[in-house]
Amino acid sequence: MKKAKRNAAIVISSSDDDEDFSLKSNFTHSKPKSQSKSASVPRKNPKRAKTALLSASCPRSSKEASGFDEMKRFCEEFKDNFTGIKVSAGLQSNNAMWVDKHKPHFLEELAVHKKKVEEVKIWFEERLHAAMDDHNNALLVAGPSGVGKTATLYAIASHLGATIWEWNTPTPTVWSEHLYNANSGLQYMSKLDEFEGFVERVRKYGLTSPTLKGSQASVILLVDDLPVVNGRVAYGKLQKCLKLLVQLVRIPTAIVITNYDKDDSADFSTRCWEELLVSLHNAGACKVNFNPVTINSIKKTLTNICRKEQREVSADTIELIAKSSGGDIRHAITSLQYLCLNPHRRPILPLKERPDNSICLDDAFSLPFGKDETLSIFHALGKFLHNKRENDLATASDRDAFILKEKFMRFPLKMDAPEVVLCQAHGQARTLSDFLHENVLDFLNEEAIDDAWLVASYLSDAEFLLSSLNGLLTRDFGAENIVQSAAASVAARGVLFGNAHPVPSRWHAIRRPKLWEVEQSLRRNKCQMLSLRGDLCNSLTLSNQIVMATEYRPALKWLGCRASESFQADDMVEDDSGSTCFHEKKLDMSDDEIEDW
Amino acid sequence: MLWVDKYRPKTLDKVIVHEDVAQNLQKLVSAGDCPHLLFYGPSGSGKKTLIMALLRQIFGPSADKVKVENKIWKVDAGPRTIDVELTTLSSTNHVELSPSDAGFQDRYVVQEIIKEMAKNRPIDTKGKKGFKVLVLNEVDKLSREAQHSLRRTMEKYSASCRLILCSNSSSKVTEAVRSRCLNVRINAPMEEEIVNVLDFIAKKEGLQLPQGFAARIAEKSNRNLRRAVLTFETCRVQQYPFTNNQAIPPMDWEQYLSEIASDIMKEQSPKRLFEVRGKLYELLTNCIPPEIILKRLLFELLKKLDSELKHEVSHWAAYYEHRMRLGQKAIFHLEAFVAKFMSIYKSFLISTFG
Amino acid sequence: MAPVVQSSQPWVEKYRPRQVKDVAHQDEVVRVLTNTLETSNCPHMLFYGPPGTGKTTTALAIAHQLFGPEMYKSRVLELNASDDRGINVVRTKIKNFAAVAVGSSRQGGYPCPPFKIIILDEADSMTEDAQNALRRTMETYSKVTRFFFICNYISRIIEPLASRCAKFRFKPLTEEIMGSRILHICREEGLSLDSEALSTLSSISQGDLRRAITYLQSAARLFGSSISARVLISVSGVIPNEVTQAIFSACRSGNFDLANKEVDNVIAEGYPVSQMLSQLYDIVIDADDISDEQKARICKKFAEADKCLVDGADEYLQLLDVASTTMQALTNMPQDMACES
Repeated sequence: MKKAKRNAAIVISSSDDDEDFSLKSNFTHSKPKSQSKSASVPRKNPKRAKTALLSASCPRSSKEASGFDEMKRFCEEFKDNFTGIKVSAGLQSNNAMWVDKHKPHFLEELAVHKKKVEEVKIWFEERLHAAMDDHNNALLVAGPSGVGKTATLYAIASHLGATIWEWNTPTPTVWSEHLYNANSGLQYMSKLDEFEGFVERVRKYGLTSPTLKGSQASVILLVDDLPVVNGRVAYGKLQKCLKLLVQLVRIPTAIVITNYDKDDSADFSTRCWEELLVSLHNAGACKVNFNPVTINSIKKTLTNICRKEQREVSADTIELIAKSSGGDIRHAITSLQYLCLNPHRRPILPLKERPDNSICLDDAFSLPFGKDETLSIFHALGKFLHNKRENDLATASDRDAFILKEKFMRFPLKMDAPEVVLCQAHGQARTLSDFLHENVLDFLNEEAIDDAWLVASYLSDAEFLLSSLNGLLTRDFGAENIVQSAAASVAARGVLFGNAHPVPSRWHAIRRPKLWEVEQSLRRNKCQMLSLRGDLCNSLTLSNQIVMATEYRPALKWLGCRASESFQADDMVEDDSGSTCFHEKKLDMSDDEIEDW
Repeated sequence: MLWVDKYRPKTLDKVIVHEDVAQNLQKLVSAGDCPHLLFYGPSGSGKKTLIMALLRQIFGPSADKVKVENKIWKVDAGPRTIDVELTTLSSTNHVELSPSDAGFQDRYVVQEIIKEMAKNRPIDTKGKKGFKVLVLNEVDKLSREAQHSLRRTMEKYSASCRLILCSNSSSKVTEAVRSRCLNVRINAPMEEEIVNVLDFIAKKEGLQLPQGFAARIAEKSNRNLRRAVLTFETCRVQQYPFTNNQAIPPMDWEQYLSEIASDIMKEQSPKRLFEVRGKLYELLTNCIPPEIILKRLLFELLKKLDSELKHEVSHWAAYYEHRMRLGQKAIFHLEAFVAKFMSIYKSFLISTFG
Repeated sequence: MAPVVQSSQPWVEKYRPRQVKDVAHQDEVVRVLTNTLETSNCPHMLFYGPPGTGKTTTALAIAHQLFGPEMYKSRVLELNASDDRGINVVRTKIKNFAAVAVGSSRQGGYPCPPFKIIILDEADSMTEDAQNALRRTMETYSKVTRFFFICNYISRIIEPLASRCAKFRFKPLTEEIMGSRILHICREEGLSLDSEALSTLSSISQGDLRRAITYLQSAARLFGSSISARVLISVSGVIPNEVTQAIFSACRSGNFDLANKEVDNVIAEGYPVSQMLSQLYDIVIDADDISDEQKARICKKFAEADKCLVDGADEYLQLLDVASTTMQALTNMPQDMACES
């Protein structure tokens, strides 16, 4: 309210002649206030004032030529003031992001698993000390966001006394800016193009200019933040670039690739990244996978930070934060800072008031800092799968307006309406139905095959609903949302209703849908088969996939034909790697996230 | 080289199975021209063989010199350009491709490729044909839009480009396209015909073939000639000389499915359902199309069922196959079918045996 | 354009009547139109009726008779459904064509009235938006253009358009008319066609002359000059009666395995199942010994299966399902699929 008033005041005053005064008054007003507030407020203030000023002076400048210059001068002055504020605000120590402030500088401070760090360190040591002509100079560091990939690299570099040269991603061009530039003849250059140029330079000059070599013995090239690509063409370009880089680079290079943990392989970009990793790996790059940080190390780090910041945060809270972060340490630290920012808020209070601790954990998604939907979706899944109900009809008997047949009768649910739970989980309908499909059979009574069918049929309905989306040529987002939520509630309610004889609750690990793995390897196999189509049956026609899969391949297996041998071998390897990696992931999941609830 | 390819008849007059069709085709092209053609019939009935032989008949031996390449077509689709990659097989006179591999982009491919072919049309000199032939596989899998655009292009470029369409079922080809083509139905060869072919191959290979054995292979092949020949060759590798009661190796995935079927019959419980799911995943991973899995599973189950249940089971098979076609993740529907079957079968067992 | 090889010219084009009065069997239409031609003034027109009854032929004939071969190109615009006829085409192509004014100059003995003709074939497949866009165009250029709409279903033409046109309904052709046409073509092409083949041809083409001619040409191409009923059936994609009867009697027998075998056979022979359904439908409807309730049950299944086929479902499974349902209905088995969704 106050701000709005002030803005209005500016507008009025600036329409007067005395603009100078108006600006000054603005700052005299805002300065003391902003210092008393937290850092984010003053940043906003001047901006608002600026826009107000601009809007006010525009009509004027059309009248007077000098108006424009004046305005410019004001803006400059403005800027000075603005930076001044920033500096002064920066003096307050709690303003800095804790993530930056408590960035690990030594290997010991890293929350990443020791073995991983060691692995990376050894790799760099070898590269830095070995002869330069070793062609294996690229390291792929892959993992979900916020698990300390970049931090590890920096820490190792400082440990080894190496300098990091980072490929600086240019600031992205905003669309309106581009429009503006287009008139002035500046060419738009996508990040991808620039990256291409960079790789080209690496190729030409080898990045081993004598000055570099002479002055500093060890240099590490770091490519963080790869250009964003969309569509197959751009992606192909990126892949080519990276491959070139991997093959050509003469100094140790780390390429950081963040997996956006979208496991649903129907997603095009996920598939691309996967392919990219494989192709780079084939090109000779060494690959290190970072897993989510374990809860214990997050806890340790958080406690350390608390100690340094001299904040009192209860162990429970830290544990809660650590758990809900889903292995993302950056997120955990940010949450911690957020909590400490406003000690009166105490979102953890209800935790202590409630008698039963486990329920609180269940409600973790209501905390303001729940990491992501995958975690909260587990809670929703747990509710749906366990299907807890009242034991008698007593509560429901009063509203028995009409009587259902016995087979449609169910006890009332011991939870909110499924839609409410879904809403809290705000998970993707597709992810939800995949998870339900994977896990629901464990929760059914051993004899109840009828239930299994009911559940299966509802899931089939839900799947059908979801895929009717993809048929829509014109993407109608409204309709899409409705279908999504309808499908989600068909899946959820179907599981709840179908599971008529729920087993007494016992501990189950929730598996990750195997379907995703299956789809991945299916795609791989398909590509392989297509690529072999030519030589497998060296005939005059192209045979179609179905025939290949159902007739040629089995026959070739029997025949033990030469062509098929290599084919088979490949197949086996792929299968193996697929399954092992699946196990790994499964273990990770159950260790870190699931076991608690 | 596999026998399937080795003994594929190269010319129309060497065709053994569809002799009548071959003769008619010969007559058709003897005038030096041919209309657009649509070959339809079940898999393994010899459509491709006939098409190849026909091309040879039209263009002479040059039709055999083919090269396989991955081509990228740049297609203008409204405001942007799309790159579509497809494997094509081409000789100087014809191009063969499966446009449905391109997925959603299939219609652009069809138009673009025909246009391109029309552009660099061979010049009609001394008896050479003034047209190229485009062989399109799996037309039934083309989207409606693609078929729609096909009919326009067919008319527009008919002077320079003839189409030979190849499809498993003609009801999935739109009426408009069908009416612009000469339709040739290729039925699956009868078992006796398959036996004849096997005899022919055995003679060429110098093998002793007991009469009953060939008949058994033919019976197992489900009237699919390609399969019969492939099976025959595997038998040869496994055991020669042939004996009449020699085991005929089944296709591995069929074997696997019949195991699944007996699993289902033995126990009906969510746990078993889960195991079955794992096995179905395995099949899917090996690129066996889900509808074929479902059909084969139905076949295996029907073999073991009482006739009362067959109606219901086949109904549900049809129901879930339709669902599968509309949906995306086949396993949901396959599993629903298995669950339904288990549920039906269990209640049947309870009602009969108490 | 390369010269079209004579043999590849479709007979449908070759034997298309050139004059309105030659159009077969549509007497009233022809009478009215002949009058129009004499006064050389005509309203917008809408031709509707089943396929192959001469709608396009009539429209083309009028255009030809009005303008003659020389002026035809500049005065007549033909658009059929294969052309991309979205709203944009209507806006641009038609407008561009309609916007150029023409004078009335009598040329080479043709009336050449001062307007242009736009023939919109298969107008019922136009989108509603495009039709609405047309409505304005029609009014704006009504002085210089006449629209001929051709469609199968008048109900798919929006009312505002239909009300602006003179409507002509084309009747399905009778067997005699069709027979005489076919025989005429046979004489011209030197084909021999026995009477059985002739009646088969008219029954499988169901009053659609174009289809009949197409079948005839295909048969002639594939099998030479003497054409039998069997040949025609194989060309047309119609399933021989024996096959449909076999499957139907298998259903009557109540033996599931027998029906399954017949279904297998149909699939292996490569008959299109949608065609099978429509022929089975005829059999079921005509059968006297089936009660209405049974027929209803069977037909419901036909409808469902047909829809599934359109969605791309597997032919074998659908036909098997149809056969099994039919069998259940015919043998009065209880239908215990209560929870059918």
